[in-house]
Amino acid sequence: MTTSHAEPVSGQLPHEPEKATLEGRNKLIGFWLFLGGETVLFGTLFATFLALRGQTNEGPSANELFHLPLVAAATFILLVSSLTSVFAIQAMHRGNRNALALWLGITVVLGLGFLGIEIYEFYEYVVHKEFGMTTSAFSSAFYTLVGFHGAHVAFGILWIGLIIGQLFRKGLTVVTAPKVYVSAMYWHFIDVVWVFIFTVVYLLGKVG
Amino acid sequence: MDWITTVDHKKIAILYLIAGGFFFGIGGIEAILIRIQLMKPMNSFVSAQVFNELITMHGTTMIFLGVMPIIFAIMNAVVPLQIGARDVAFPFVNALGFWTFLFGGLLLNLSWIMGGAPDAGWTSYTPLSSSEYSGTHGVDFYTIGLQIAGLGTLIGGINFLATIITMRAPGMSYMRMPMFTWTTFITSAIILFAFPAITVGLVLLTFDRILGANFFDVANGGNPVLWQHIFWIFGHPEVYILILPAFGIISEVIPTFARKRLFGYSSMVFATILIAFLGFMVWAHHMFTTGLGNVANALFSISTMLIAVPTGIKIFNWLFTMWGGQIRFTAANLFAVGFVPTFVMGGVTGVMLASAPADFQFHDTYFVVAHFHYVIVGGLVLGLFSGLHYWWPKMFGRILSETLGKWTFWTFMIGFQLTFFVQHFLGLMGMQRRIVTYLPNQDFDLLNLVSSVGAFLMGVGVIMFLVNIVITTRKPVNAPNDPWEDGRTLEWSIPSPPPEYNFKQTPLVRGIDAYWKEKMAGHTEMTPAEPVGSIHMPSATPLPFVMSVGIFIAGLGLMFSKDDFGNAFMNGLFNNYIVVIIGLLITFGAMALRSLYDDHGWHIEPEDQDEKGVRT
Amino acid sequence: MSVQDKSDQQPVKHRHRTEGPQKHVVVFIFSIILTLIAFAAVKAGGVNTSFTIILLVVMAILQVFVQLGYWMHMKDKGHLMPILFMAFGFFVAFTCIIMALYWVWW
Repeated sequence: MTTSHAEPVSGQLPHEPEKATLEGRNKLIGFWLFLGGETVLFGTLFATFLALRGQTNEGPSANELFHLPLVAAATFILLVSSLTSVFAIQAMHRGNRNALALWLGITVVLGLGFLGIEIYEFYEYVVHKEFGMTTSAFSSAFYTLVGFHGAHVAFGILWIGLIIGQLFRKGLTVVTAPKVYVSAMYWHFIDVVWVFIFTVVYLLGKVG
Repeated sequence: MDWITTVDHKKIAILYLIAGGFFFGIGGIEAILIRIQLMKPMNSFVSAQVFNELITMHGTTMIFLGVMPIIFAIMNAVVPLQIGARDVAFPFVNALGFWTFLFGGLLLNLSWIMGGAPDAGWTSYTPLSSSEYSGTHGVDFYTIGLQIAGLGTLIGGINFLATIITMRAPGMSYMRMPMFTWTTFITSAIILFAFPAITVGLVLLTFDRILGANFFDVANGGNPVLWQHIFWIFGHPEVYILILPAFGIISEVIPTFARKRLFGYSSMVFATILIAFLGFMVWAHHMFTTGLGNVANALFSISTMLIAVPTGIKIFNWLFTMWGGQIRFTAANLFAVGFVPTFVMGGVTGVMLASAPADFQFHDTYFVVAHFHYVIVGGLVLGLFSGLHYWWPKMFGRILSETLGKWTFWTFMIGFQLTFFVQHFLGLMGMQRRIVTYLPNQDFDLLNLVSSVGAFLMGVGVIMFLVNIVITTRKPVNAPNDPWEDGRTLEWSIPSPPPEYNFKQTPLVRGIDAYWKEKMAGHTEMTPAEPVGSIHMPSATPLPFVMSVGIFIAGLGLMFSKDDFGNAFMNGLFNNYIVVIIGLLITFGAMALRSLYDDHGWHIEPEDQDEKGVRT
Repeated sequence: MSVQDKSDQQPVKHRHRTEGPQKHVVVFIFSIILTLIAFAAVKAGGVNTSFTIILLVVMAILQVFVQLGYWMHMKDKGHLMPILFMAFGFFVAFTCIIMALYWVWW
């Protein structure tokens, strides 16, 4: 196994520091593999939702519940946060730790914004629209699919927050770079999942 | 303590073997109890409730906690050596996978003494497994215990995939990898894509039972067939997860003991990939009688029969390998050669079952039970025995007794055929599955008795194997690098057992059967691909163990979160999810520790690099 | 030291042209446009339902392609395994969708 150096050699970080060590490359391929599995996980959740989306059991339906402007706002925020995470990685490739941390910080703030909207949305449904996990098969499927995505966002926010902390404690090195890269991959992935959620759950819900 | 904190794939292999062996024993006892109950009509050896728990736990334990861990044991012991690597890609995650599996299995089996085991079959169909018809916690042990054990398997799969992709020795292209490594690679890919489906299925069932969700509750709009689909989208690939490693083992053992290279290597690789791919497109052959309709039934019949083609290619390749070889019947080879016709028998009944109209007669009868035991026991388990006898010297430095091994083979094989061959006829005569007893005078009596006698004989065979292990453990650790003298692959080029770092110098690979190639060129050792140097090793850590304990606690907490304990303190702890939170804090806390404190590992210097290996 | 790392020989003094943000901003704008089209199609309401559904799905797939390709570098060299595994993941997800649409209710 390669000895991975914790300190950059003579201040020069390689161009793609996340790939500079065997451990780093392993982390990257390992995470791609994990994302392949997550694709099936969300695929099954989407399938469940698609099968049960018409089963409203005299409870509220998608058309009645969903407020598209809110969804559009959440979508926009998450999309911007995915862009800012790209800028973060570009800063990392330039070896600029502070710019990297800044872009990651903006990503986290936007992620919190997205989460805030979603929590508000769920609160409205549960408290004011009598639409909870137990209302119908549609509601169970909705909360499980969208809730799993929201839980992934929450985890990502926590993770990237810790990464930012780690960057200040240990700096940007060939050891920390793969961890940053992998967290950005994760963040892109949950944005990709959201594209399908707003399409299949919200837009299709309004179409019928 | 060393064993709790190890991240060494060779030690983890042994842990998997011990734990898997232990659960296999429990599953075996469950089988014996089932067969005692069914030995004669109208028997009352166990109650119907206990019988349902026995059949559920027998299947669940044997598959998830028995044979799969033993498969992982062999994969861990062998694959890094076969590719010339010093460990897997993620040693920490490797240990985590083991401990997670162990604690999931312990949780599942705790059910026996905590209110009753799950009793809805290993397939746990809804609505039987929903809270309306399964009001006690049995099925919760199933959903939560399996979920935890399944996480371990999933991360194990990712680990082997990454290892094989990035850590092969120089010169080992994909088409020069040994067949067991190939089947490990493909099996791990199937694990990666199949387990997330059961993860979701178990979540949905857990939510239905514990949170009052309505996925499978017809009254509120749910659909029970959805469970079946999701379960079998996982469940069918699962059986290929079970059998492909056995195929890999057979592809190693037969050439070694025929002193002849594997016939048709490329087609073997291609067939393995095709089986895996097709395996995701046949799941509804478990659902022919649910009413999916003629189009669906026809599609799935055809796709299921198609899988026989690549499987047949493999069978013929093994036969052509043996043809013209100098065959030596060691115990390992007896099991491997015994595998071939037995698995074929299981395979052909599979093709019979694949015909949807015929399946309307076979479904839920003992014909199905006969089929899958032929492929799982007559296939996979024989393959595992073969692999264990073959690689035992590499893992432990001692060769298992050949004489006892042969006795084990014959006892187990004869017992197996007695147990399951007759079950084809029981099924064809109409005996249903999963029934606690049967009426006399249906011509079932003698065949059931024969089947039970066979089961006892299999038990004797397994005990012989255990005796073999105990006797062998008393022998000195003196197996040579290449105990079978005809080893073809890299693991036979290093000591038995290997030193902690496996290869002093990463070898240079020049072709398929890399070690054999060097032998044919007159060398006794592999050509190194690097100079002797300081070897970097990962550090031992208790965190994987701690993380698994945390998940276990969280699982228990979730399971009892809606219970009334009759006392305010316990109610407070569980109903407010405090136990769950404590468990999750332990797990995520350990994860955070792992991420925030770097493990710089340690080094083995050249002067320490000639001592013998893993002390077991 | 292991010989297994193929790209350990990073040329230290070589100046790499670090890519600018332009391509990614284009992807962003493209994604926004696709999203707007999708929302507009639904808002419009008058459009035929099956056509709308197909449009929505196509917009989503296009958006996912460009995000995976550019933001996640899947179009770059050295991503064969990620592509293979993600593709198979989508394939299995697709079979789940077919199951849900055709074989749950009848």
